[in-house]
Amino acid sequence: MSRILIAEDEVLMLKALEFKLKKDGYQVDVASDGKQAMEKIKQNTYDLILTDIMMPFVGGMEILSYVKNDPVKKITPVLLISAVGLEDVVLEGFRLGAEDFIYKPFNLNELSVRIRRHVKQNNFA
Amino acid sequence: MNFLEGLINYIAETYTDRLNYFPSNVKTSLLIILFCVIATLEMYIYITFRRLSQANEKRQLDKWNEHVSNMLANLIIFDEADKTEDIVAHFYPKMKKWPLRNKVLNKVLISEILTYHKSFTGQIGEVLSILYRKLGLDKKSKKKINSRNWEVKIEGIREANEMRISEMAAEIIKYTDDENALLRMESQAAYINLSENNPFHFLDRAQERILDWHQVVLFEIITKNKALKIPSFSQWLRSPNDTVVMLCLKLVEHFMQFEAAEEVERLLKHHNPRIVKKSVEIIGKLELASAETSMFEIYFDQPEDVKLEILNSLGKISSGSYENFLMSRIYSGNVKIKKEALYAIKRDQHQGEEKLRELYQQTTVENQALINHVLDSRIKP
Repeated sequence: MSRILIAEDEVLMLKALEFKLKKDGYQVDVASDGKQAMEKIKQNTYDLILTDIMMPFVGGMEILSYVKNDPVKKITPVLLISAVGLEDVVLEGFRLGAEDFIYKPFNLNELSVRIRRHVKQNNFA
Repeated sequence: MNFLEGLINYIAETYTDRLNYFPSNVKTSLLIILFCVIATLEMYIYITFRRLSQANEKRQLDKWNEHVSNMLANLIIFDEADKTEDIVAHFYPKMKKWPLRNKVLNKVLISEILTYHKSFTGQIGEVLSILYRKLGLDKKSKKKINSRNWEVKIEGIREANEMRISEMAAEIIKYTDDENALLRMESQAAYINLSENNPFHFLDRAQERILDWHQVVLFEIITKNKALKIPSFSQWLRSPNDTVVMLCLKLVEHFMQFEAAEEVERLLKHHNPRIVKKSVEIIGKLELASAETSMFEIYFDQPEDVKLEILNSLGKISSGSYENFLMSRIYSGNVKIKKEALYAIKRDQHQGEEKLRELYQQTTVENQALINHVLDSRIKP
């Protein structure tokens, strides 16, 4: 069973994503801020990380940067969620190595498909 | 016990039997002390009740938060193949059993439905909208819109706007020209989204100012809402409200509404220099050669920033009719005017740079330096 980490500070959104991904058959870990997410990333290995860009303590970009600079964890796909679709932010995300970018509001079923594709690609790699 | 009883009796007697025998200053002091003691006791009772009620509210809030968020999280993860009405039919009876008259539950339910509606697109939005109405939450929003308190009104307007309750447009229109700027702005933004037949009707009746930053907000809403039927904004360019004219000019520019050309040209004689400047800018952007003469006619009566904009627009149009005028401007005493005139000459794509090189041979040393500056492709105007 693939293991996914969701880092999101909005409680409702976190719960919705957790329910959805569990229903899709993943093992899901959740973090309600960037600090918690970092601790979990350091302790565990994930098949995919889904993180909000703006979070307290540690932002999504810092998480992305940490994962992509770690020689072992860098193969983990990171999907960024953001309410702002600013070009600079998107470019910075892709430059740092993000696999995908999702803008709020988004379609939950579409997110589910994207996650499935990235997890599958990662498992083949 | 005897001491306490004695003390209470003594105090009671002081205020009953002995009070009349005291001098008036002592009497007044005793009455003030009595008043203070009663007030303090009342305050303590009030604080205690308030804390109890807050604790109770928090308990309820936590309970309903948990209930509602679990229900909604289950709701949004329905199967893709499920029909909207089936999902509603599955969840509505469960939610209907909740005590919907409970204020705390209402607050939590509305807030969480709105959050999900804002965060997710697709079928979820549709399901949430139907449930919002079926649970009678739209009526609560309507009640808020008609509240006396402007903050509550804004809350109701935001709810109606987010849940796209279009019939609320008729309620909201009355606040679009309210003297309270925040209420006015929120209503205008909501009205554009909610009105099905005439989303720009509020511009007809706007007497209050549409503040600059709110013009930015409205501009964003109008230009990003793809479902909106865009009218010709020239119909509001004669509005007595300068801020309406300004907003409509920006929209004419964005949607490149050439049919507004005549009205935009007329605005060159407007009393407000900001409107004149914006009109000149649009004439340049739309390359309205027919308005060149009008711009030339007003040029000498304008402040510096409008003059610069006129030169810029003449350069963008580059019809050649005002080439001599542009040449004459490089002998102005104002360096900014000289530079703008040179850039305007350069903009003639066929001969602009050649003309500047010819001019270089005949002009002053200061102008030669400016021509070098303008011809340097590394420097952007």
